[in-house]
Amino acid sequence: MKRTTVLLSLLLSLVLVAAACSDDDAGTTTTAAAESPATTTAEEAPATTQAAPATTQAAPIEPPDPILIGAIHPLTGGLAGAGNRMDNGARMAVDEINAAGGIASLGGAPLELVSADSTGAAEVGVSEAERLIGDGVSALIGTYQSGVTLPVAAVAERDGVPLVIDVAVDDSILDQGYTYTFRIQPNATSMGTNGAKFLSELGGDEIKTVAYLHDDTAFGVSVSEAFTAAAAALGIEVITDIPYAPFSVTDLTTEMAQAAAGSPDVIVVTGYYGDGLLAARAATDLEVDVKAIVGIAQGAFHTPQFVEDFGADSELFFNSNYHFNSSDPIVAGILERFEATFDDAMDTEAMLAYQAIYVIADALERAGSSDPADVQAALATTNIADHFLAYPGPITFDDTGENINAEPVLMQVVDGAVQQVFPAELRETDPVFPGTPWGG
Amino acid sequence: MIRLRQIATASSRDLLILLGVVAVLALVPLGVSRFTLSVATAALIFALAGIGWNVLSGFAGQFSFGHAAYFGLGAYTVAVTFTKYSISPWLGLLLGGLVAAIFGLLTGWISFRFGLKGAYFALATFALAELLRLTFNKFDYVGAGVGIPIPLAGGDSWGTLQFENTPAIRYFVALGLVALGTLAVIVIKRSRAGSRMLAVREDEDAAASLGINPLRAKLVAIAVSGFITGVAGGYYVMFLMFIDSELAFGPFISVVILLRPIVGGVGTIWGPVVGAAVLSILGEVTRSLVRDPPSFLQVIEGVNGLDQVMFGLILVLVIIRAPDGIIGLFRRFRKRSSQ
Amino acid sequence: MRGRSRTAIWAGLAVVVAVAVPQTAWWDLNHTVFAQAVVSGLLIGGVYSLVAMGLSLVFGVLDIINFAHGALMTITIYVSYLLFQNYGVDPYVSLVVTIPLMFVVGVGIQRFAINPVMDAPVHNQLLLTLGIAIIIENLALVLFTGTPRSIELAYARNEFDLGVVTLDFPLRVFGAVVSLPKLIAFLVALLLAGVLYLLIQRTQLGAAIRASAQEPEGAELVGIDVRRIYMVTFGIGAACVGAAGSLVLPFLFVAPTAGATFTIIAFVVVVLGGMGSIPGALVGGLVIGLTQELTQLFVPGSKFLGVFIVFLAVLLFRPEGIFGKAQR
Repeated sequence: MKRTTVLLSLLLSLVLVAAACSDDDAGTTTTAAAESPATTTAEEAPATTQAAPATTQAAPIEPPDPILIGAIHPLTGGLAGAGNRMDNGARMAVDEINAAGGIASLGGAPLELVSADSTGAAEVGVSEAERLIGDGVSALIGTYQSGVTLPVAAVAERDGVPLVIDVAVDDSILDQGYTYTFRIQPNATSMGTNGAKFLSELGGDEIKTVAYLHDDTAFGVSVSEAFTAAAAALGIEVITDIPYAPFSVTDLTTEMAQAAAGSPDVIVVTGYYGDGLLAARAATDLEVDVKAIVGIAQGAFHTPQFVEDFGADSELFFNSNYHFNSSDPIVAGILERFEATFDDAMDTEAMLAYQAIYVIADALERAGSSDPADVQAALATTNIADHFLAYPGPITFDDTGENINAEPVLMQVVDGAVQQVFPAELRETDPVFPGTPWGG
Repeated sequence: MIRLRQIATASSRDLLILLGVVAVLALVPLGVSRFTLSVATAALIFALAGIGWNVLSGFAGQFSFGHAAYFGLGAYTVAVTFTKYSISPWLGLLLGGLVAAIFGLLTGWISFRFGLKGAYFALATFALAELLRLTFNKFDYVGAGVGIPIPLAGGDSWGTLQFENTPAIRYFVALGLVALGTLAVIVIKRSRAGSRMLAVREDEDAAASLGINPLRAKLVAIAVSGFITGVAGGYYVMFLMFIDSELAFGPFISVVILLRPIVGGVGTIWGPVVGAAVLSILGEVTRSLVRDPPSFLQVIEGVNGLDQVMFGLILVLVIIRAPDGIIGLFRRFRKRSSQ
Repeated sequence: MRGRSRTAIWAGLAVVVAVAVPQTAWWDLNHTVFAQAVVSGLLIGGVYSLVAMGLSLVFGVLDIINFAHGALMTITIYVSYLLFQNYGVDPYVSLVVTIPLMFVVGVGIQRFAINPVMDAPVHNQLLLTLGIAIIIENLALVLFTGTPRSIELAYARNEFDLGVVTLDFPLRVFGAVVSLPKLIAFLVALLLAGVLYLLIQRTQLGAAIRASAQEPEGAELVGIDVRRIYMVTFGIGAACVGAAGSLVLPFLFVAPTAGATFTIIAFVVVVLGGMGSIPGALVGGLVIGLTQELTQLFVPGSKFLGVFIVFLAVLLFRPEGIFGKAQR
């Protein structure tokens, strides 16, 4: 009894202290904005922008106010793994931009990342978005989940603050006619149609029938529908369609057996990491008699972690997904720095968050203003050719805010590494087809 | 007539408190940020859902672990009638409440007829909410897995219940709904139907021997409860501007709803509101503590999940130390100090 | 009551058949798929049984709805994973650590958190265990990040020469595949069910547990320290689910919410089998495992729809469960 009282009072005092402290600063997480940038900007930036006052004032020149960027991701809950990596990716981008002198057109103003935890829940995402907007962010990035992104995009639109979607696949997010929302990653339609295109390029006449195993959330349903339509036009028929509940399955052997039952040429899988692993295990156990297992926007098959954890069994799995441009040495450097800083392998989701910060920095640079409306106008005319993603062209947004060149690449685990195999110009190795680890 | 007057006198204290609380809460929008207002609005919506839960589980003693069913039905009714048939969300709220109440009556009738009570009734309500979640996730008419986004009307509009420019109005509407819900509870608690519910909660057999029809008392409770929670769900859609099966029927929603009255005080008029206020503040405080800790706790900065750990710890301690909720704790404290 | 529930069960069966018949032409051609569904259902059902046994004991003896049950499983998933990753300890060997560890954890939770609220209404206990689940899952997040990890057993796909027969894993049974980790989990679950059953039915401790479940006041009178029995019971329940955690590691994945997936299913199994009944939990687990896999055959993507329909039917028509005694 006594112990609980002590514990309770300890916790309560903690809470009270917190309440007292948290009010004055509205809770902002500063990312090293105080370290390198303060010194670099003081040296370089003032020369042009603050020349006039500098001559009259003896006092050291004040560094420009940092520009706030909000990042909303699921930092706790079932998707916390991906969410934290994405937050780290954004953090690293902010640090690097600051170290390189901040936003030159704004007097070398440093960026400051304000992180928020959506907890994976829509209403928390919404209130956090409003908190960040209240803090005065110039732009938002997020949110990994379509179900959270949709309401957050509504808030961004309402309050007139641009939202750059790093990851969230639903077409419907940008179907609402929002002008303040932009998306870097390919949407569901792009994922599905390009996946179908890759299959037909990969297999030629050898792929005529497909069994489709996908999660039953908005993600899997929209991607599989887009794929089915596009595949039909290319003469590929989806003969079996097996949905499953991605967050409550503990085994996919029956589903995989169902998919294999119609003797399809290829089994296609769409879903998240954990269920993808279960699907891969089921296919391996069953040694399904198909020419290939191909992920389309699958969350596992193209990750270094899948290769590491699933070992030799991961060999020859295909995945058509968004990907960082692994043939680019600059990207290799980013991957290295991320691993060194966070002791965690960088995945494409984290790279998309990293990229989103650079997209916003580019807009800030061109706008010469941190006003959200100006940033939105600048974002609309974005044209970034030297980006870090495996896209066929620059990052540039159409009227709805969709990145015109956002396309997936087809990857395959070859010789124990995830390698790009399609399109040809991004190819790192020749695809092994037909190919399954158990020898098909 | 005499009875009516009795009710009036006995309730006058509660009504005065209601007026006072509403007056105080009406001041909240003055000088707070959009964010605070948004959190407060969400707190009010879940307080309203909790008020509904409290009628069935607090007053009639039938513990529900699946109030997301009513919440979600209300939410989907508003979303579907508004986006597909352009029916004003005001009418939608009413329809949502009705749909939820009818669902409550039907499932309640079956459950009670088969004698479900205690943990079994709780698990049955849970299963029903899950069935709705799984079903709504499959039908294109309700957006299947993708859900239903509500198109922004642009600007403030009472007709479409959207207040893009003045979030304060959005808050006041939520406050008005909570006030109405509380008023309904005050009236019900003093009414015959209310005393029947309380009698059934205390001892169903004894109540039956006094000529009370327990089935009927419980059905009234579940209908009222479903209606109130359904309205809360309906307004939630206009707050979020989006609904899908997880947000509407997820187990998480059921927990969020019942957490408020239990922390505040089960079976009390003000429990849900007090609980909602305390939990929202607690959630924001723990979150901001991890986000921006005082200097001597710098190590915990940005440690994601720690806020949830603290939240869980405090929840556990509150339940151990204040089993009757915060209102119960307050009463005990007052009793002790008056002695 | 008897007659009514029997008609109801027949009615339920008729509905299932009515749903199934239009599909039968399809699965008639695929005996392998059908066999796979049955095998998968039984194998995963064994794990459900083991998880549910612990819950059933706690539910039956202490009469509390323990929502931290799955979170307890998360603890041993992590413990076994860390032992494997850092010291190369085989997950099945790590049972030697995880079972006693979880017994202690369970006793501790009962002693410090649940015993103080044993007399409180049911919703308080439910919320308390929910709070404990939140703490455990988020501590795991803080300590190990949310990144899902997994392990593969080197010997999972291997030939085993048992002298009489040579078993080549994954085994093929009527065309259906049986993976070694799942088979081991299934067999160990059966073994533990037997041990637990004997413990409850044949030992003095078991008698005390049964007495405390049926007549707490009476048990107190004959000199049983009921609070202590509650602690031991919760400890045993935690040990069961802890064992399940180590057993699922080789075929599931590691994440803070990995165990929570099992909580709801475990409740379904407990109700189906009858509160406090070990054989009930065993049979219930297998039935639910089969139900979900067969539903998947007939209505793809609706595994859990079938489970909840069965659950509701049991609640309505036979709330005492298959092996439970009538309580109404």
